[in-house]
Order: sequence, then C-alpha cells, then structure tokens
Amino acid sequence: MIEALQFEFMRNALAAALLASLLCGIIGSFVVVNRLVFLAGGIAHAAYGGIGIAFFFGIPYMYGTIGVALTAAVLMTAVAIKAKNRSDTFIGVLWAVGMATGVILLDFTPGYHTDLMSYLFGSILAVPRADIAWMSVLGAATLVLTVFFYRDILAISYDAEFARLRGVPVNKVYFLFIVLVAVSIVFIIRVAGLILVIALLTIPPYIAEKYARSLMAMMILAVILAVVFNLTGLWLSYNHDLTSGATIILVAAAGFFLSFLLDFVLFALRKNHSHKTHAPPEKG
Amino acid sequence: MTNETPIITVENLYFTYNGEPALANVSFRVEENEFLAIIGPNGGGKSTLVKLILGLLEPDRGIIRVHGKPPSKMAHCFGYVPQDVNINIDFPITVLDVVLMGRLRQGGRFSMSRKDRHKALDVMETLGVREFAERKIKDLSAGQRERVFIARALAANPEILILDEPTASVDTEGKTELYHLLRELNETKTVIVVSHDLMIVSSYVKSVACVNQTVHYHPNNEITGAMIEMGYQCPVELIAHGQPHRILKTHEDL
Repeated sequence: MIEALQFEFMRNALAAALLASLLCGIIGSFVVVNRLVFLAGGIAHAAYGGIGIAFFFGIPYMYGTIGVALTAAVLMTAVAIKAKNRSDTFIGVLWAVGMATGVILLDFTPGYHTDLMSYLFGSILAVPRADIAWMSVLGAATLVLTVFFYRDILAISYDAEFARLRGVPVNKVYFLFIVLVAVSIVFIIRVAGLILVIALLTIPPYIAEKYARSLMAMMILAVILAVVFNLTGLWLSYNHDLTSGATIILVAAAGFFLSFLLDFVLFALRKNHSHKTHAPPEKG
Repeated sequence: MTNETPIITVENLYFTYNGEPALANVSFRVEENEFLAIIGPNGGGKSTLVKLILGLLEPDRGIIRVHGKPPSKMAHCFGYVPQDVNINIDFPITVLDVVLMGRLRQGGRFSMSRKDRHKALDVMETLGVREFAERKIKDLSAGQRERVFIARALAANPEILILDEPTASVDTEGKTELYHLLRELNETKTVIVVSHDLMIVSSYVKSVACVNQTVHYHPNNEITGAMIEMGYQCPVELIAHGQPHRILKTHEDL
C-alpha cells in the first residue's frame, strides 16, 4: 500500500476515503440515532434525478445533484414532521421519482454520459482534487457544527419534545443537520457511489452504537470503524484488482457480522460469569 | 395553602385532533402549590391537556396563561416527565447525560458547566439514582428510569412539575414511594400528575380534574355527592381521603 502512494490517484483515493469516513461517522451517527436511514436512502436515490437535470440542461453536475438532494431532503423532512405516519410512503415515492427522472432525462440527452454503474459504486480511484478540497471544507464545517450544537443534537435525537420545552430551536437545528446529511451524501456518492454511501452511513454507526456510552463516543468510534473499513477495502481492491466501492462494502459487511459474533461471545461469557459468581438480582 | 394566586389559568379552551374534538370548553385554574391529579378515561384528552398547558400544542380556541403569559413563553417554569420513559431505550447515553438535558439553556453552550453537573448530581441524590450516573440508560429498571426522568425534570429547578402517568411501569410499592416523593416536592412546587391510580391519587393529591373532552375540576380530593354524579361524565373510580379505601363506581356510558 505504501509504495502505491507514489501515484497521485492513490493519494487522492486515500484522502477521499479518510474524509468520507469522517463525514460518514458523524453524519451517519446522526442518521442512525434519529432513524433516518430510509430518508438518507431516499435523498441518495432522488439525487440521481439531479444528474439527469444537470446533463439535460448542460449545467455543472454538482449543481444538479446538490440542488435535487437538498430539495428532496427538505421536502421529506417537512412531511416527516407534519405527517409522521405516512412519511415513509412519501419518501419512497420521491426516491423512485428522482431516480426515474434521472434515467429519462439522460435518455433525452444526446451523446455519452456517465453510466449508472459509476453512480452506484462510485470511483474512488478517480477522485479529482477539487472534490477533495470541497470535502475538506464540508468535513471541517460538519466538525464545527457538531461540536457547537452537540448538546442540542443530543437532546433533539433523544427526546425532541423535551428539548423544545427547554428552549432548543428543535426544527431549525434539525433542518440544519438534514442539510448536512444531504450535502454529505452527494459528495460521498461522487467518490464512493450510492450503495457505499448507505452502507457506510449505517454500518459503522450501528456497530458503534452498541459499545458507545455517549453520542460523541458513538461518532468517534464510527469514524474509526469507517476508516478501518475504507482503508482495508481500498488495500484489498488495489492488491487484487477489484472494484473498490464493492470491496469496501463487503469489508464493512464483514465487520457488521463480526460485531454480531462478538456480541454473541460476550453474551455467552457474561452469562457464564454470572452463573459462577451468583450475582445478586438487581434491585427494582 | 395560604397563598392562592392562580399559577395556571385555562379559559374556554378548544382543541381538535385529526378533525375530532379532543377538548371542548375547558376552563379551570391551578393555584400555586396545588397538588392536582388529572384523571379520566384513555383517549379522554389528559395528555393533550398537559401538552397544551406546556405549550407543546397550540389551542384552536381559548386561552391558557401561566403567570399571566402564554405557555410557550413560560417553558422555564415547567419540569415535565413524559408518559413514555422507555423512548429511544437503546440510545447511547448515560444516566447523568439524560439528567443534564434538564440543564439545557441554563448555562454554557459547549459543555455543561460544573454548576450544571453539581445540580444534576444533587437531584439524582434526592431521587436515589446518583449511583447510576455513569450507567447507560437502558441498563436501569423501568422504575429507576422513571426517577431519572423526574430528576431530569427537576434539574432546572422548575416551579411547576408535570408528570404524565408516572407510575405506569412501576409496581405498587414503587407507586407509594413515588407519591411520597411527589408530596415532598409539593412543599415547594406546584405538582400536576396525570394518573390512573385513583386509589393512590386520592390519598395524596389536593385537587382533582376529571378530563373527558371537557374538564370537571374538584378543588379537593374527597368524593362528594356531586362528584359521584360526575361519574356519569367521567369515570370516577375515585375515592376517599387517607386510607386505601376504595369505592368502585360503575361508569355508565354517555
């Protein structure tokens, strides 16, 4: 891996992987504790419509995807707040409509265009430097906002009603973070693909949640896990000439199942232990 | 009660929920240092009434005033214990951090100050949950969690404590303990408790509000003839003062 770093594309890929891990760990933890995985999936898929719009109207690719991702995110969140019970249906519809619009608009656009595969799996080995600069800005902004709003985010995620009662501007902070989710998703898709973004947003935070004692610890652990999955995947894909996005996903999935195994072993050990020591039953 | 200033005033309140009238023509006053029980059938509007008083919901018509001001401006007066203390049970959060949530907007922005921690640990001591401070919230029993949520509500030192069915997941012994505690808290605070435990309620509270779309307010906790009449409008399963002395009055449908 070290000798591979003499290539600029490898250095870029490494930087992109680390920045994507940072975003995924923080934003993914917010997504997981707020049960927004479906919404995140909806944003990611609807954003494909943005690619169609960008190609059809000949505007820069990023304007199309960020525009559509933000619109979809705000609409979905507004519906989720107003009509909780039916928001999943609405998200599902936007999810499909966004994607279909993208496909049809690309049909109408003459000439060569990016194929669906690179949108699905990304191309971490072909990340331009400009994207890395933007991701650094986004990563820094996410860090600062998370630290600044940490107590509010914690309260909103745990018990929004109580947070409101304590004077936290719940909807404003919530929308701010939904915007961060949408923008992060667009950048991560660009480097790593639609499928990887969902996997990386959910798997590291999900594992981290079980072992963390605070949201902050969950975010940090999720970032570390994401780094491990990304670098391992990148290394395997380089050494064995495999598709990088898919390799990273399978490494993350392996981590996911290993954590189940670990839980099982820990549970068995604890059970065994409490049998031996006859721990007194907990006071109710 | 020497000092009988109304702390909460509700006048001609109407609220519709999903097109169905949930509360209609509700008027009553809560005096300072009152210990009020809100009782009534499920779906009768108890929790809705509480959320209106807290300013979490806006009435369709009518007026709610807390110290003469709209509730949304008076949120700092309230300590609130929601009905479901098991929400987000797998959330990665320690007991101390849950209680510290009650100190939000009281002090520093980035982290809780030493004063906040001190106050939080203090209330936890009072409620007997200090020893669990560093445990994850899910490792506690339901009864312990209930106390943690009461500690969270008390952490901001509110004037009015509102609890929505605090004993739903607590055993009988726990219930008595809890009401003892609420009586102690009532020495310095106004306490409003939504409850089903009419037997226990009647031996602790000072006044009762029966909620079933409308509210019938009883300025004491004893059963009067009039109140049994009331049973026809809200299911009074209520009862006498003091000893656990229970009269079950069958409720006729309207």
